[in-house]
Amino acid sequence: MVQQAIELRNVSKKRRKGKTIGPLDLNLPQGYITALVGQNGSGKSTMLHMLLQLTFPDEGEIRWFESPYADGLPLALRQRIAYVPETPQAEEKYWNAAEAAEFRRHWYPAWDQGYFEELLAKFEVPQDAKLGKMSKGERRKFEIAAALAARPQLLLLDEPSSGLDPFAWKAMIETLRKYMEETSATVVISTHIVEEVRRLADYIVLMHHGQLLGMAEKDSLFGSWSEIWVQVENEEELGELAQELPGALHFAIETPGVASFITPQAQQNEKRVQDLGVKVIKSRILELDEILSLWTQGHRPTLIDQERGD
Amino acid sequence: MWIPIQINENSAEPLYHQIETQLKSLIISGVITEGTLLPSIREFAGELKCSVITVRRVYQDLENEGLLRTRQGTGTFVSHVGEGAMEGYKKEAIRKALENAVDVGLSVQCSKAELTELFTEIVKHKYGAKT
Repeated sequence: MVQQAIELRNVSKKRRKGKTIGPLDLNLPQGYITALVGQNGSGKSTMLHMLLQLTFPDEGEIRWFESPYADGLPLALRQRIAYVPETPQAEEKYWNAAEAAEFRRHWYPAWDQGYFEELLAKFEVPQDAKLGKMSKGERRKFEIAAALAARPQLLLLDEPSSGLDPFAWKAMIETLRKYMEETSATVVISTHIVEEVRRLADYIVLMHHGQLLGMAEKDSLFGSWSEIWVQVENEEELGELAQELPGALHFAIETPGVASFITPQAQQNEKRVQDLGVKVIKSRILELDEILSLWTQGHRPTLIDQERGD
Repeated sequence: MWIPIQINENSAEPLYHQIETQLKSLIISGVITEGTLLPSIREFAGELKCSVITVRRVYQDLENEGLLRTRQGTGTFVSHVGEGAMEGYKKEAIRKALENAVDVGLSVQCSKAELTELFTEIVKHKYGAKT
C-alpha cells in the first residue's frame, strides 16, 4: 500500500473578506513530487501554511505521515520538514549565508554542511553578502540550498523559481531531482511555471478560488485534449458536425472553408469526423497549460487511463 | 546511459505506451544490449519529462515480459532476449508499418488493386536491387 505523507480531510479555512478555502480533501503520497497549481489567490500558500501549522484549519483534519498531531507537530517531525516561503524571513537578513546556516544547523540535526556548501557553490550564491542585501534570485538560491541541506523528508516549496535566471533554474531542477533520487522524500511545490511542472511533477493538484479542482497523475493529462482543424463549407455544416461530437468545444470558423475545435478523446473523435465524410486537415494535442486552463474553466479533462485493464 | 527515446508531442498516444514501445524495440533490435544498466526511474523520468509513475510502469511491464530485470539496490538491467521474441517483434513492427501505409492509401481513396500493385512494385524495386 502507498504510504501517505499528507492527508487533508474536509479541511476548510476562512480567509480575509469572507472568502473560504475548502473543503479540501487530498492525499499526497510519499516519495513523489506534487505540483500545486492555481492562479494568484487560489489558496496555494494558505494550504502550505496549514501543512506547516503556521496557520490552522477552522474545520477538518490534516495528517502528517498518518498521524493528526492536533497538539502541534512534534520537534522530531518538524526537523524532517523544510520550507522555502514565498517571501524570505526578515530575521536572518543581517547574516551572511554561513551565519544563517550556523543558526539553522542548530535546529536540524540531519543538517549536511558539506552538501550545503556544495549547493552554494553550484548555485553561485555570494559568500560574504548579507542575506538582506542579496538579489531576489540569490536569496532564493540560498533558501533552496538551506532547505535541502536539512535533508528533509517533506519539502515544501512556495514558488521556488521566482527570481531565478534560466541557469539557476536548471540547476535547481537538477538538484531537486537528484535529491529525490537519493532520499525519495516527498516534495510539494507551488508554482506558476508550466515547464517546471512538466519537468518535475509526478502529480498535479489544481486549485481555483479556494477550491480543489482535482488531482491528477501528470502524464495522464497528456493527450487529454486535442485541437482539430477540418474542412467545412459554412457555419451550418459546422453546427451539424458539433451535434455529432459531444464534449467538443470552441467550434470556430478559422478562414473560409476551415474550422477548428477542441475535443477530448481525439483518436475516436477524429475517426468519427472522418466517418462523417468531413476532411481533417490537421490536429495537435493541447499543451499542459492549455489543459489546466480549460480545467480551471470547468472543463475537466478525461484522464487517459494509463493502466491496460490489469 | 542515455537511451534514445523520442516522445511525440503531437500524438495523443499515452506517454507510457510511447516509451514502452520504443524501449522495447531498442532492446529487441539489440541497440541496447543484454546487461546494460538502465537509468534510475527518477533520472529517466527527468530526461523524458514524464513522471516516475510512468517510468516505473514501463519498467514493470517490460520486467513482466522478461526483457528487463531489477536487482535490489543496483538497478534495472536489460536481460536476455530470446529468438522467439526477436521474430515476433520483427513481424509486429512490419505489420504496424504496413497498416500505416494502407491507412494512407485509404485516406486518398486508393483502390485495393492500385495499392497491391504499388506494393508489389516497391517490393520488386527494393529487393531487386539487393539480390
